[in-house]
Amino acid sequence: MQTSIGIRASARELLQATDLLWAWTARIIRARYQQSTMGWLWAVVQPAASVAILTLVFSLFVRVDTGGTPYVLFSYLAVVPWTFFASAVPDMADSLVQNMTLVGKIYFPREILPISAMLARLLDLGIASGLLVVMIIYFGVPSSPILWLYVPLILAIETAFVLGLGLMAAALNVFNRDVQPLLRLALQVWFYASPIIYPVSMVPAQFQPVYYLNPMAAIIEAYRAVLLYGTPPDAYLALSAVVSVVVLVIGYWLFRRLQFQFADII
Amino acid sequence: MTTVARFDRVSKQYRLGVTRTSVPSLISQAVASRFRPGASRAGAASLIWALKDVSFEIRQGESLALVGPNGAGKTTILKLLAKITRPTSGRVSVCGRLSALIELGAGFHPDLTGRENVYLNGTILGLKRAEVDRRFDEIVAFSELEQFIDTPVKRYSSGMVVRLGFAVAACIEPEILLVDEVLAVGDAAFSLKCLQRIQSMLDHGTSLVFVSHNLYLVKAICRSGLYLSKGQAKYLGSTKEAIEAYERDLHADRARRLEQAKRADGSSTAVIEVTGVEVRGAGGSENGRLRGDKPAEVLIHYAAFRPAEAVSVAVHIVRSDGLTCCMARTSLDGVRFGVERGVGTIAVTLDPLQLIAGEYYADAHFLNASDSMTLAGASSDWFSVEGSALSYEERSGVYQPNTRWRQY
Repeated sequence: MQTSIGIRASARELLQATDLLWAWTARIIRARYQQSTMGWLWAVVQPAASVAILTLVFSLFVRVDTGGTPYVLFSYLAVVPWTFFASAVPDMADSLVQNMTLVGKIYFPREILPISAMLARLLDLGIASGLLVVMIIYFGVPSSPILWLYVPLILAIETAFVLGLGLMAAALNVFNRDVQPLLRLALQVWFYASPIIYPVSMVPAQFQPVYYLNPMAAIIEAYRAVLLYGTPPDAYLALSAVVSVVVLVIGYWLFRRLQFQFADII
Repeated sequence: MTTVARFDRVSKQYRLGVTRTSVPSLISQAVASRFRPGASRAGAASLIWALKDVSFEIRQGESLALVGPNGAGKTTILKLLAKITRPTSGRVSVCGRLSALIELGAGFHPDLTGRENVYLNGTILGLKRAEVDRRFDEIVAFSELEQFIDTPVKRYSSGMVVRLGFAVAACIEPEILLVDEVLAVGDAAFSLKCLQRIQSMLDHGTSLVFVSHNLYLVKAICRSGLYLSKGQAKYLGSTKEAIEAYERDLHADRARRLEQAKRADGSSTAVIEVTGVEVRGAGGSENGRLRGDKPAEVLIHYAAFRPAEAVSVAVHIVRSDGLTCCMARTSLDGVRFGVERGVGTIAVTLDPLQLIAGEYYADAHFLNASDSMTLAGASSDWFSVEGSALSYEERSGVYQPNTRWRQY
């Protein structure tokens, strides 16, 4: 018996469903903001609020050496991509479970649900980046616009990592609801294991190779390099890219393996 | 004619009871199935076969009814056809666009408006946005919800949700339509409209797979039938023969339960069952045709598993478009019946019948003495009424009273 359709056929199916992908993403966004007064402003307010707290603690109480960069900008630049990561992955993990009635009643490419969940968070990232641009201009950092061309590449690497991890979590969460709380716990630890509140230079040199196994570390550092320090990203970004692609391949493979059981389990 | 769907020795196994699987075992299972396709590590005790070795094919424009008791595997077949689930063994091949009415409005989101949901549901069913654009007016017109199309669906009544759901599913011009017991909801006029729509889709070459417990509807719509029992195909042939095979087994099962009830008192949970409903003319009817101006008798044959001091009986006469024309009820007529264990018949005479010419059936129910709970029920075969009015055109009314004309 054939348990899965070919990867090319399923990719074609996904391409044919782009209209559904947009419609479903729009549904998530509309449903999220419809009954709130602040609406899309939450996409800025949330990271801004956590940055306000971080700035208070780490530039007034505990001094973190950022090498001359204002702490507000230093941390906001990391919090924005981190928020995308830390909100998209749990949203993706929940996406199938929350729409189980749909999965059990109608056939459509199942990837639509987690990918839409991610796209909706990508919009938040875009909105939050607006404030980032304002801050960069306001503080006048020594960055060159040429280097900004790296941003789409770094974002692509981050998106691949989020996608891979999210697809994996979404598929596994259907079978075992421990995945969701486990993920929340992991993200808490992960926050401190990534250079958000501190620069990588504070990590002891002998631990750095291990530290950089976390793709988010090199991704955040790369954003800082091109946007704040005016330098190209260092070689660890390539390692992140490799890890991210491997995670994406495994995640998508696992998702496709398990997707035919979704409707039976629910 | 081309084959649009084919089941080739299809079996489907479901796991019972297990609600969670450990993550490591899932991953190892996924890896194992990569290298040893079909390997299953689950214990046999918790597995049931929802379908076993079922083969059939559906040609273009064909209508297939799936009949059988609950748990026979009817919905599983629809889910396999709709690609919602995969067979454990065997092959399911489907070509053409499918539209599955397994649950109407399943893809609706309560917070979004009817308009937004039409687009969302249409794209879920496989349409492009532009294709929904083209059909949008037709969908809204069919659903008769023009006024409410910009209202969030959460404020819709369940009947309105059903209407919009059917309108979307029917207007996407599927090559195969899967309908699962959804026409039972919604009002009679809309049900009729849905049936007419299904009929016209069949005429235009759409294939249909239809699941319903309403055997009259099944007979009216489908040309072939598959009778399933406990996941196995018992009979595949004309709808009439498939239903007859099903009903034979129902009778045999009922007789067996009655036998059991006789032996072990009170162990059966059912009190009574209706084994058949018959409508006949008091003067003897010829091949199911009755005269509207003559009396008619409805006979309710029953099998009682336990004696009951008092039961209430209700009979409805339903016209082919779903309109209930009249009702007779023992409690309203001040009549009481008690039943002994065993079989028996209760009859009610309608004198005269007074229905205008048309197609009808009778629905009979046993209720408890206080009329608060239905104990059992069944419907009769279709019967035709002949009368002086030609048929139920919109101006000919529902019934024909005894009339006397005079001039003062």
